Amino acid sequence: MSDYVVEMLHITKDFPGVKANDDITLQLKKGEIHALLGENGAGKSTLMSVLFGLYQPDGGHIKIRAKEVKINNPNDANALGIGMVHQHFKLVEVFTVLDNIILGAEPAKAGFIQRSDAKKRLEKISKQYGLRVEPDALIEDISVGMQQRVEILKMLYRENEILIFDEPTAVLTPQEIEELMVIMRNFAKEGKSILFITHKLNEIMAVADRCTVLRKGCLVGTVEVKNITKEQLSKMMVGRDINFTVKKKQIGKGNKILEVKHLTIASRLHKNNAVKDVSFDVYGGEIVCIAGIDGNGQTELGYGIIGLEKAASGDIVFKGKTITKSAIKKRETEGLSHIPEDRHKYGLILDYSLEENLVLARYRQKDFQKGGFIRFKNIRTYAKKLIENYDIRCGQGAVTKVRSMSGGNQQKAIVAREIDKQPDLLLAVQPTRGLDVGAIEYIHERLVEVRDSGRAVLLISLELDEVMNVPDRILVMYEGEIVAELTPEQTTVEEMGLYMSGVKRQPRFRKATEGLR
Amino acid sequence: MKKSNTNILKNKVSAFFVKLPESHAFRSIMASVISIVIGLVFGFFLLLILKPDRAGWGIYRILFGITDIRRFARMLYFAAPILMTGLAVGVAFKTGLFNIGASGQYTLGSFFALYTAMIWQWPWYLAILAAMAGGAIWGALPGLFKAFFNVHEVISSIMFNWIGMYLVNLLSINTPAMLDRLVGNRTMILVNANPSAVIPKWGLDVAFQSNFMNIAIFLAIIYAVIMYIVLNRTTFGYELKACGFNRHASQNAGINAKRNIIVAMVISGALAGVGGGLYYLSGIGQYLVERSLLMAGFNGIPVALLGASNPIGIIFSALFISYLQVGGDSLQPVFAKETIDVIISVIIYMSALSLIVKTVIASILKRGSIKKHAKEEKQ
Amino acid sequence: MNVLGDILSLTIIFTVPLLLVALGGMFSERSGVVNIALEGIMVIGALVSFLYMSKIRDSAFAAATPVLATLTGVAVAAVAGMVFALLLAFASIHLKADQTIGGTALNMFAPAFAILLTWTIQGQGQTAIYTPPWARISPTVFGADLQNLNFFQRVFLKEFFITTPLAIFILILVIIVLYKTKFGLRLRSCGEHPQAADSVGVNVYFMRYAGVGISGLLGGIGGFAYALAAGAGFSATVSGYGFLALAVMIFGNWKPLRIVGAASLFAFFKVISAMATAIPFLPSFQKISGGEYIYLMVPYVVTMIVLAFTSKRSRAPKASGIPYDKGAR
Repeated sequence: MSDYVVEMLHITKDFPGVKANDDITLQLKKGEIHALLGENGAGKSTLMSVLFGLYQPDGGHIKIRAKEVKINNPNDANALGIGMVHQHFKLVEVFTVLDNIILGAEPAKAGFIQRSDAKKRLEKISKQYGLRVEPDALIEDISVGMQQRVEILKMLYRENEILIFDEPTAVLTPQEIEELMVIMRNFAKEGKSILFITHKLNEIMAVADRCTVLRKGCLVGTVEVKNITKEQLSKMMVGRDINFTVKKKQIGKGNKILEVKHLTIASRLHKNNAVKDVSFDVYGGEIVCIAGIDGNGQTELGYGIIGLEKAASGDIVFKGKTITKSAIKKRETEGLSHIPEDRHKYGLILDYSLEENLVLARYRQKDFQKGGFIRFKNIRTYAKKLIENYDIRCGQGAVTKVRSMSGGNQQKAIVAREIDKQPDLLLAVQPTRGLDVGAIEYIHERLVEVRDSGRAVLLISLELDEVMNVPDRILVMYEGEIVAELTPEQTTVEEMGLYMSGVKRQPRFRKATEGLR
Repeated sequence: MKKSNTNILKNKVSAFFVKLPESHAFRSIMASVISIVIGLVFGFFLLLILKPDRAGWGIYRILFGITDIRRFARMLYFAAPILMTGLAVGVAFKTGLFNIGASGQYTLGSFFALYTAMIWQWPWYLAILAAMAGGAIWGALPGLFKAFFNVHEVISSIMFNWIGMYLVNLLSINTPAMLDRLVGNRTMILVNANPSAVIPKWGLDVAFQSNFMNIAIFLAIIYAVIMYIVLNRTTFGYELKACGFNRHASQNAGINAKRNIIVAMVISGALAGVGGGLYYLSGIGQYLVERSLLMAGFNGIPVALLGASNPIGIIFSALFISYLQVGGDSLQPVFAKETIDVIISVIIYMSALSLIVKTVIASILKRGSIKKHAKEEKQ
Repeated sequence: MNVLGDILSLTIIFTVPLLLVALGGMFSERSGVVNIALEGIMVIGALVSFLYMSKIRDSAFAAATPVLATLTGVAVAAVAGMVFALLLAFASIHLKADQTIGGTALNMFAPAFAILLTWTIQGQGQTAIYTPPWARISPTVFGADLQNLNFFQRVFLKEFFITTPLAIFILILVIIVLYKTKFGLRLRSCGEHPQAADSVGVNVYFMRYAGVGISGLLGGIGGFAYALAAGAGFSATVSGYGFLALAVMIFGNWKPLRIVGAASLFAFFKVISAMATAIPFLPSFQKISGGEYIYLMVPYVVTMIVLAFTSKRSRAPKASGIPYDKGAR
């Protein structure tokens, strides 16, 4: 008689071209917190989607409480007591908190929703677990942390006993993460079983009882967390020792390349300004990193510098020239390059071929056009050069449709295009998002190369590891303002967390409103 | 030496046939052909249900309605305007816009052409330019609304179709010099108003034994070739298509997406306007002041879809749709000529599914090639 | 006063089809499918129901219970519209085809098919299917004196069809279904965030079929109501009312009560343009001919102006027009 609540035995799942899960076995004990560790693309999400009924496995079987089951859809999962907090919240923004929680499990009489009953029940659960929410607030009006709380309440409302958390800490401040850990421990104490998907080792060490590690769709092993070190875990995850630090040349500070003066940018999401009176400089030969929790104005700041968003007030000075009102094209020809946050939306034209994408920012140059007619031969030659120099792997060479390339190679194509322009300033927004360790290392090396050649890099990042290792200087943003300037060598993650969550603020960055009469 | 040359040629030819099924163009053409076949089969069954005894005759008429050179000339005559509206819709598609407003742009183009020809006595080539301008203005409006107010072009094009039609009616009625004195609800016969505004025939009318024949179709084909070059060989076309595929990435690359939306709609409208010009400047059709939208604009949609928005493909699809329509006219009075519209609508419906059709073709071909490979391996 | 009464009376009966069809469009979009085929759906609804009405024109059933007979006509229109709309649903939900192109095909199909069918049934060139006289409820039924209608009677009873009270009933039903029931909540979630709906076990495909199906049902009834309001009968066209209803829906910001307001405003302009010459207090544009075209343009021009001002704030269902792919998440 086993004491496992969930047993996923020899699960295999094929997608066209990839084996996402290959003979994976995962067993979850009652009342434990079980971490599922792996890099991006290791197959964690696929495995959990199989458990949650979103995908059907091609091989293997699932036992819940020692009984073999077939989970065809989320309803089946729910009936078995399985609930999931998705990495990208599954919440309807224009619905209220209450409607989101009851959706799919509405208490109803003859089809009519009994909202007052639902509300009573929700209030009871809220009290029991200390998870306070405003039932009538709209999702779009509440904070990200609060939205996650709604997701958790969704599971509790359905009386789920097996809780899956998919990368739940990505959007939280270090303090909010602490809170979440406490909540998870409470659940475990009550006898609920928790599956915790992550690629962050610290969190596993802090909260998990056991840990299952996946790599490239295969099972590496399951270990007791108390018997293992962080380094051992990371080696299991990546398959080799990884170098957390990035080697940089010693070079002096160059000229002032970028000067942002009192920049304010309106938000598209809410009525307040997304970026409030931000000022800073970037010099040649340095990597400056804007750190912060997602949604604190970093994205808009990046858009403002490249020209995708208009500045409400303030100035951007690039190499001594004011470019606040310049068109994007002008900024780019002046020597500004941009690796965008969302590569599919802003970085690439997926239905164009690789070569057409590689000249996306340069097709107007003399080499590539003559009198408005495209010089296809030159483009081909140039594309071949980049493919070789930047090691872009693609099926059919220069004419490969970018859509068919892997995420890492798509990102390499963007990096190649933007760096090969020899920019004076490279604006890199979350350049390593969703990539595996190999690709991350590669991109970090390239960023450092730009810096070492005396040019400037402005890095906007949400990943703490990246923030601590890549830049020369860190600027922390909180609610649209810069609240601290730090040097990686002289700070800790904990200290940075206090700045990122608005608990602390350096005296030189006093609140914008205090300056107003 | 000679032998190896022929061998190389042979290899090249066979390589072409191996690659052919995988090529994008081949799949597009196959998808169109399948859509057409399904449309025609549907039409046949419809006729079979309506009048079983005459269905065979009906479908024969549709398929082989063009029996002599005169009918062929009619086909070319009707193909010219829908080739233009097809180009209009196709170019917009390439830029990611659905220009359902070709009808309004066509109407404005017609009015500009007729007004300049009749009132200002412009010759035909200038009147065609006027038609271009008229269509361009009417295409620009939905473009402006999209770029500046974010109003979806489908909604605004539909609105501007009606506004354009009523506006042209209003203007025509208030320009008595343009109207046929006897009937009053249509424009006068062009040759009476201004012979130099009639598109020249260059002896083609004699060769084709038909008054319908003039150089309009050749002008339309020239427009198609120009559009082909613009879209595929120029940086301008590169920008337009980039915006069509991904507006955000284009913007990030320094392409002015708003400007491109407007420019694409202006070009699209201008092409539709020329369609109207070619039709009415042929001197046969008279503009009728009625309260219904002109169908030539809407027929641009199936033309563009069948031609996979490729200007060269659109030349063939316009000829084909026109072929069906001329054949369909000879169905009357046994069947309403709207039979053809039913068939065309089924063809559009099927081409909306073209993605599915293409994947099906691809998977069939794949299966075929895998089987072939397996066989080869066995040997 | 009499003219005003007539205008309001006609406004009411033309509001009915616009309201019903716009509500239909709303259901479809709220479930996540853009329904540009409303025009075609109206045509099919009107076509099939009017063929049915002319079939029972002289039957004892119609003579004995005209209201019931008209209601069976409504039912026929609803079913026809729904079946036709399912063609759009099939293409856009199951086959993930382009929703606008599929809709355009249906819009082209409907009027052509209508002509083809009526000619076959009624003979060549006989496009019009006439309204049976019993479909209109005479004011005398309510005890009014035809020769001497007071203002109130003129507005509400002069032109009275069973579809008018039916539309009010449907409106109330729609509001309740959309906001108070499980079905409504689930349907709306599919138009906003289908992945969220799917993750809590809502069948997105089913909900979208339901949304498009209801839009066909209401669109069919709307077509029937239009043909009744048009007077003489149905001649293979609904004169762009389906497209107008689409504008009404946007104007109404996808909300039932606002749609009522938008529908009556649009109907009012339509009526004004038709009656321009008969209305003494309106400018009659004597210096120019064809003044009715100015009024005919007004609803469309107003729509464009309003769209220009509201579209930045408008709240279209977020996932509307995007095929839902279970695989992509």
